Amino acid sequence: MIPHLVCALSLVVFYILQTTIFSQTPLLNGTADLILLFLAAWSLQEQARNSWLWTVIAGLLISIVSAMPFFAPLLGYLGVIGISKLLQRRIWRAPILAMFIVTLLGTFFQHAVYVIALQINGAPVAWGGSLDQVILPSVLLNLVFALPIYAIVNDLVGRIYPLEVET
Amino acid sequence: MKPFRSNHLQTIMIIAVVSGLLFLALSGYLTPVFNLTLNPLISFQSWLSVRYLSMRDFLTAPRDVTQLREENALLESQVTQLQTQLIEMEERLAEAQVCFSLLDFGRTNPQYEYIAATVIGREISPFLQYIIIDKGSEDGVRHGMPVVTQQGLVGRVDAVIANASRIKLITDSTSVVNVFLQSAGTEAQLLGSLTGDLSLDMIPLEETIEPGDVVLTSGLGGNYPPNIFIGQVLSVQQRENALFQTATVQPIVDFTSINAVLVIGNFEAVDISPLIPEE
Repeated sequence: MIPHLVCALSLVVFYILQTTIFSQTPLLNGTADLILLFLAAWSLQEQARNSWLWTVIAGLLISIVSAMPFFAPLLGYLGVIGISKLLQRRIWRAPILAMFIVTLLGTFFQHAVYVIALQINGAPVAWGGSLDQVILPSVLLNLVFALPIYAIVNDLVGRIYPLEVET
Repeated sequence: MKPFRSNHLQTIMIIAVVSGLLFLALSGYLTPVFNLTLNPLISFQSWLSVRYLSMRDFLTAPRDVTQLREENALLESQVTQLQTQLIEMEERLAEAQVCFSLLDFGRTNPQYEYIAATVIGREISPFLQYIIIDKGSEDGVRHGMPVVTQQGLVGRVDAVIANASRIKLITDSTSVVNVFLQSAGTEAQLLGSLTGDLSLDMIPLEETIEPGDVVLTSGLGGNYPPNIFIGQVLSVQQRENALFQTATVQPIVDFTSINAVLVIGNFEAVDISPLIPEE
């Protein structure tokens, strides 16, 4: 129960921080996505077992709140967690490296989903301009914030899932 | 009888000597003698006094330093409090200035009813240009209502919940506003973009557009009321074989730093989409 509460509370906090601060401080037109970073960091924790559930919940909530075409944020976040789970099994010895790779690939995937969704809806969004103005700056910002978010989530998970001592 | 006389004589002599010395001292004849004898005494006294005061300062100084440190900490905390108050006052002053300018806009456009709102957030996706305000359906905000600041047009209400609304800015890539170029007396379409830049399209080739021309809403399409200021033409582009001219527009509103907006509450957007023939 406590992990669910902590996860829900963290999502709310990160959402508020995202809309009030991080979305208002762009680099060119790109912004950091704290929710993506939180979900990626959470899913990379070995003890955390409910990352898929919270990804779906976060994706649905963001789909409702955001002006993006419906289900695009959900699809984007599910892709990020998919990459995360895939890497977790392969780079399990270096979770921080995995976090950076998930952030890099996940941001590209999420933004590709967004561009396709917007193009399907008829928005004049070109790939070239998106890459220069939004995707690459967002990737850079996400990589900058990946480490502190990972540290926070790692500490959080360490507190709510105490180490099991074998007797 | 003899001892009595000798005693008297001694007394008289002492008095005479003392009187003589006093007389000599008062008349200044003994000054060199006094200097000679008193100067070493005064020097010694001053030396001793300086040492004593130093010693006393040394012994009492730590207490004073502690007091001074306490006073310093107290003063520093007072300075911090005053600085905090100053920042709060400056923030309130800035808010008041925004409110006054919004009020001024309301006075100059009395035909509209305004709902003042504060910007509380922005869209998560960097591909879209939306803001979130703290007024919703409970405050009378409805879908499609135009949103302005004291400077000019901001956008329109895109989604509403009870206590908040999402505003689509005119800089969004999917935004289209029908505008009127005041100097040329012609109409055009204002388009947003991914980067937040504004451009004009559908300007007839025969019209002469100059940088600095004022761009206002035309009211066509029923989405926005007419004659709301948007910005000025920055540059004009004419391409060969193109059917229309295009131009870039410098918006009057700084969309990166909007803190407060006015929702025009008595304007109902007209949905003309059923009248547009399907392709």
